[in-house]
Amino acid sequence: MQYKDYYKIMGLSRDVSQDEIKRAYRKLARKYHPDVSKEPDAEAKFKELGEAYEVLKDPEKRAAYNQLGANWKSGQDFRPPPNWDEGFEFRGGGFTGGDARNFSDFFEQLFGRTGFQSADTGRHYGEPLRGQDSHAKIHIDLEDSYHGATRNISLSTPEMNAQGQLQVKHRSLNVKIPKGIKQGQHIKLAGQGNPGVGSGQAGDLFLEIVFNNHPLYRVSETDVYMDLPVTPWEAALGAKIKIPTPESVVELKIPPNSRQGSKLRLAGRGLPAKTPGDFFVVLQIVLPPATTEHAKAVYQAMQQTLDFNPRQFMGV
Amino acid sequence: MNSHDLLLIYTGTIIEDDSLTLGQLCRACGVNADWVISLVEEGIIEPEGKEIHCWHFSGANLVRVRSALRLQRDLGINLAGVGLVLDLMEELENLRMQLKITGDVT
Repeated sequence: MQYKDYYKIMGLSRDVSQDEIKRAYRKLARKYHPDVSKEPDAEAKFKELGEAYEVLKDPEKRAAYNQLGANWKSGQDFRPPPNWDEGFEFRGGGFTGGDARNFSDFFEQLFGRTGFQSADTGRHYGEPLRGQDSHAKIHIDLEDSYHGATRNISLSTPEMNAQGQLQVKHRSLNVKIPKGIKQGQHIKLAGQGNPGVGSGQAGDLFLEIVFNNHPLYRVSETDVYMDLPVTPWEAALGAKIKIPTPESVVELKIPPNSRQGSKLRLAGRGLPAKTPGDFFVVLQIVLPPATTEHAKAVYQAMQQTLDFNPRQFMGV
Repeated sequence: MNSHDLLLIYTGTIIEDDSLTLGQLCRACGVNADWVISLVEEGIIEPEGKEIHCWHFSGANLVRVRSALRLQRDLGINLAGVGLVLDLMEELENLRMQLKITGDVT
């Protein structure tokens, strides 16, 4: 088991006041809250922060934790010394805060898991109880929505064992991705949520669809966008060129006198749906590099023959 | 052969734009109806249908309710504040999407 330095996690020194701990928590919680933060590891950071605060906000737990000494380093292998918690009273149902099932082994060793069952108080033992609905995100590729697919997802579900202790169970599910599914839509799998207690029914599983970033395509609702590099002469003279789409390679006609950033629409080639989305090609004109004498000569010929001032509207 | 290939394939139902009742939404989020009603009163989520018993919620509402729950619980924000945060986050999301579409950000 690894030692966790709760002070370091919260960026505090060991002698701060309870008020300072609270202020630091509020500030970091805003920074790392998974609903607000765009930091890539926000969720893990937020969990760690919650655990640190759970200990440090409670003067008793904090005192017990401090008693372990300041010489431990984060990540160091750790065993609690025998009777380390003598004289403290938090064992046996002391803590109630956050989502304690997410806390680390380190926390569990020190402060036990007694808080878990507090949610059940007032319920008669043995009474069947419907399992909770659970939620997960499922990441798919854009192509999966075009063609439909089967995706495998791994889930970690907390389950009560025969002794009434919570255990995290890992399982894997194959899920059919229906054709035309959109970003942010949910798939509901009845009975695949958390198991019920006693003869209670299992809950449902809600999967939120998230599209992976695609190197070529961008999606907005049912419309799909793609940047298409073209040469200046293709844009100026018009051309027929082959382009990729998520379905197949198609031939696209570029009208003469097309400008940088023009959008060409391929109706109905966006995400499939009752009213399918459109596929938009955004033209990106790429200039050939003037690195050879020959290329320079071509640019010079343009300079001499074309009377072109792109800054005319600026009045200079 | 991949071990995944031996598993059953589950086919779920897509939650369409108006397919959750108040009861289903509460169950899916693990909250009580009073709390959801207060979210509707605050304008944080907008169900289809006039009367409470014919309210219908979308999958997007589901995401908002769960975010609201976490924001209130973890950051101690009141409902007006939660509404403001969610609206600003949505605006930020839309702006990020716009940037992506104009191609300036990858």
